[in-house]
Amino acid sequence: MAEQLLVVDDEPNMLRLLKTILMDKTGYEVTTTNNPLEVSKLLQEKPYDLVVTDLKMPLVDGMDLIDIIKKIDAQIPVIIITAYGTMETAEEAVQKGAYDFITKPFRKETILITIKRGLEWKKMQKELAALKKQ
Amino acid sequence: MIFRFLRRFLKEEIDEPTRLKLKFEHFRHLLENNTRALEIMADMEEKLSGDFLFDTAYLQTQAERLGDNVCHLVTELNLLTENRYPELRSICQQLREDILRELTATPSIPPTPYVLPLAGLSREMAASVGAKMANLGEMGNRLGLRVPEGFAVTASAYKRFLEASGLEGELAKHLSQARIDDLESLEATSREIQTLVRQAPLPPDLEAALLEAGRAFQGRPLAVRSSAVGEDTELSFAGQFATLLNVDAADLPAHYQEIIASKFTSRAIFYWKYQHFSADELPMAVGCVTLIPARASGVMFSLDPHAPESNTVLISAVWGLGKYAVDGHITPDLYRVSREPDQQITEQRVAAKPVALAPRPEGGTEEVALDPEQARTPCLTPEQIQSLAAIALKLEKHFGHPQDIEWALDASGEIYLLQSRPLRVSAPRFAAEEKESTWEPVPPLLRFGIRAVGGAAAGRVFLYMRDEDVANIPPGAVVVARQPAAKLVLVMDRIAAILTEAGSPTDHMSILAREFKVPTLVEVGGATRVLHNGQVVTVDADAARVYPGLVSELLEARPRADEDLTANSLFQKLRRILKMATPLNLLDPGSPEFEARNCRTLHDITRFAHEKAMDAMFALDADQSLEPRGCSRLRTDLPLTLFVLDLGGGLRTPGRAWISEDDILSRPFRALLRGFHHPQIRWAGQVAPDLKGFISVFANTRYDMGKAEKGLGGKSFAVITDNYLNFNSRLGYHFAILDAYVSEEKNDNYISFQFKGGAAGVERRERRARLLSEILDDLGFKVQVTGDMVQARMVKYSLLETEQTLELVGLLSAFARQLDLALTSETVAARCFQAFKDADYQLSFLHPEESAT
Repeated sequence: MAEQLLVVDDEPNMLRLLKTILMDKTGYEVTTTNNPLEVSKLLQEKPYDLVVTDLKMPLVDGMDLIDIIKKIDAQIPVIIITAYGTMETAEEAVQKGAYDFITKPFRKETILITIKRGLEWKKMQKELAALKKQ
Repeated sequence: MIFRFLRRFLKEEIDEPTRLKLKFEHFRHLLENNTRALEIMADMEEKLSGDFLFDTAYLQTQAERLGDNVCHLVTELNLLTENRYPELRSICQQLREDILRELTATPSIPPTPYVLPLAGLSREMAASVGAKMANLGEMGNRLGLRVPEGFAVTASAYKRFLEASGLEGELAKHLSQARIDDLESLEATSREIQTLVRQAPLPPDLEAALLEAGRAFQGRPLAVRSSAVGEDTELSFAGQFATLLNVDAADLPAHYQEIIASKFTSRAIFYWKYQHFSADELPMAVGCVTLIPARASGVMFSLDPHAPESNTVLISAVWGLGKYAVDGHITPDLYRVSREPDQQITEQRVAAKPVALAPRPEGGTEEVALDPEQARTPCLTPEQIQSLAAIALKLEKHFGHPQDIEWALDASGEIYLLQSRPLRVSAPRFAAEEKESTWEPVPPLLRFGIRAVGGAAAGRVFLYMRDEDVANIPPGAVVVARQPAAKLVLVMDRIAAILTEAGSPTDHMSILAREFKVPTLVEVGGATRVLHNGQVVTVDADAARVYPGLVSELLEARPRADEDLTANSLFQKLRRILKMATPLNLLDPGSPEFEARNCRTLHDITRFAHEKAMDAMFALDADQSLEPRGCSRLRTDLPLTLFVLDLGGGLRTPGRAWISEDDILSRPFRALLRGFHHPQIRWAGQVAPDLKGFISVFANTRYDMGKAEKGLGGKSFAVITDNYLNFNSRLGYHFAILDAYVSEEKNDNYISFQFKGGAAGVERRERRARLLSEILDDLGFKVQVTGDMVQARMVKYSLLETEQTLELVGLLSAFARQLDLALTSETVAARCFQAFKDADYQLSFLHPEESAT
């Protein structure tokens, strides 16, 4: 079963590039939106394994999205994309529950590795929860 | 009188060091700006490779920083040279403005007629008619595949509609006033805007053009679809833009407006709400084609995206119109066909298809029930399946990427193609396991270096030792050089790879190599010794390895840069900016074209300014500097009268009248002095007696020993900082100027060396000049000889290498002092050259009896 990724960025250019990269021989299924307002709806329509979101967006920024996503499914790893020089905010995002952050511009491999680790983390969380139940 | 004299004396004493210090400060700032500019250019070019993701903010920041750095560089050059290049300022300013304009520019809509017939479309026209229609035209016109007849309503028509109807202003106003707090209010705004678009009046000329185009299709049902331009596709959900099936050509204007209205999805509204709305950005084109009354239709993928290793074409099919094949309304038939030449059908999964979508006689479509037998019958015959698979492979080959294709089969069984677009193959490619970075197919010849341009290539080694060699480089060569040479640009379109022992990924050559996509490794120590001319090697620049022979595993078709990626408007914007920044037109400082007014790019400016700044520093008022004013005198056992002027950080305690060598902190000066102190170097008074075994030299020379001894007392003068040295000296009757900068930043490092004069006859002096040039060339300098003057320059070596070379230059200066006495013939000159190479600095072959003891 292909892993489902949701990518949120208000710049259509970036969305297109991200989709191209994240689907290039990775096995992931990728849904994109430039509209952070619809994230909650999208998450309720179908389950996602991981969310990648830009930090700075109008109306609802990446920081808000962490809360929104965690309310729907606390287990979804959220990866924040930040602009160069916003390290503090990025760290704050991680404090808030983001799985990790990467700084633009970045290498293709960087985001692929971060996503891979995020998905593994999610899997481990799940296994851990199952073990605890036993 | 005395006062005036004293004032003049004092004034000059204060002014001179200050002036020099200022000059040097400008030079340093210039170097810093040059380095930064080159770094930014390299960084931006790297982003063009497709290995990185960047956004608009990145482009803005980098372009502005680059412009700033180059403009500062120009200012510093003019301060350094007393405003010798005022025209550079305006050239730089103009380039900066052009780049800024490019940054803020929205992709322009090509001026075309409102309507273009499909028969005249090809893939290059995507900006006018959208990718969907452009590709349809490509399939019909270039590949001769059957596509429906039709035409495109262009992006230019969209712009005309929005502007002439007043919609552009109205939408901008509406968007800015709309209250959007949540998804509901956003969707409500989207609906309002769609209504505005539907109700806006079409400008009469556009309406007339649509009706005129439709007239040719009178009585034939049409399919009208959006054909989004550029990133517009990202603003829709899959298939969200409207498609109108089975419509009458006479109603085209209304249908056109309907499709345009569908563009204003909630995602588009969200985007426009926070951007300045413009008819130029994200335009929409519309495609109108005859509706194929399909018996069956479907979708096919030229490669199964989830199992690419199975190497099969995937075809889905339904009865009737194709909409049901994609929207999940019913389960379609599924066929798999091998991509091998035999095109075997490997799987045939026939589904029960109880209904089909069919054109309704009065327009539009309707669902029709199928009889159970037809429902269970395969939609395609084996021949049709194979024909479709063949088409899929043909399209993949033509477009250079797996394709996602819509097709239809008419009543007579003819195949029509309705759409072809790139398919994202998400599953990992079979056997494309990530290679460990240490993976080596065979033991490499060299396994170090810094990647300047990635990739792999193979070819015959060409050892590039001097610039004149450039004309002899054969096509396909792997060029191996000691130093980076921008001159290689002359052959970069035909060489396979570049390896240099020195250099950095940010130097001129690397930037050029990146432009030409020539795999390049720099800092490959020992490359010119390990590799030899004509040897076939494979260079893996990504892993910094050089292998013997051809290594096919590395050379196999490397995936080419993703078209979707590099066709992205951000990449194109970057490409256009780089066009104004990085091409290097000023290559040869010796050429009459090497003029400020001929700088056409920012790179030209940096190249020019760097060269001219070096000249300005090199000729650092040599004669004046020889007058010691306000400097310290060096106490040394060297036969030199040496004055030192510290401009900052060069001395432990500046300002003292006498200093010792221990007081010197300047790195380049210390290195030079180490060379002077080499134990094998013979200084004053020792030259002539040692030549007694070589008495014939004396017999034939008019050398005046007394004069020589006097010459040794000449003054030498060093201007220093912690990293810098400008050394003017007279050693014997030779006059030398040495200028060097040594730091951690290798791009800034250089040694410039000039040697002239002597007491012997012209012939010997020239012979010495030639010998020196050979030695300097061997040390890695670029050397120019004019008469008895030798000029040598070495740039961009590492701190350690530059220091070591400086030490050798010190050694060489002292060594050279003896030479013109000895250089009676070319044979002796050759032996001297060998002596230096063999580190026999006391020229023991001239006095064998002494070295024997």
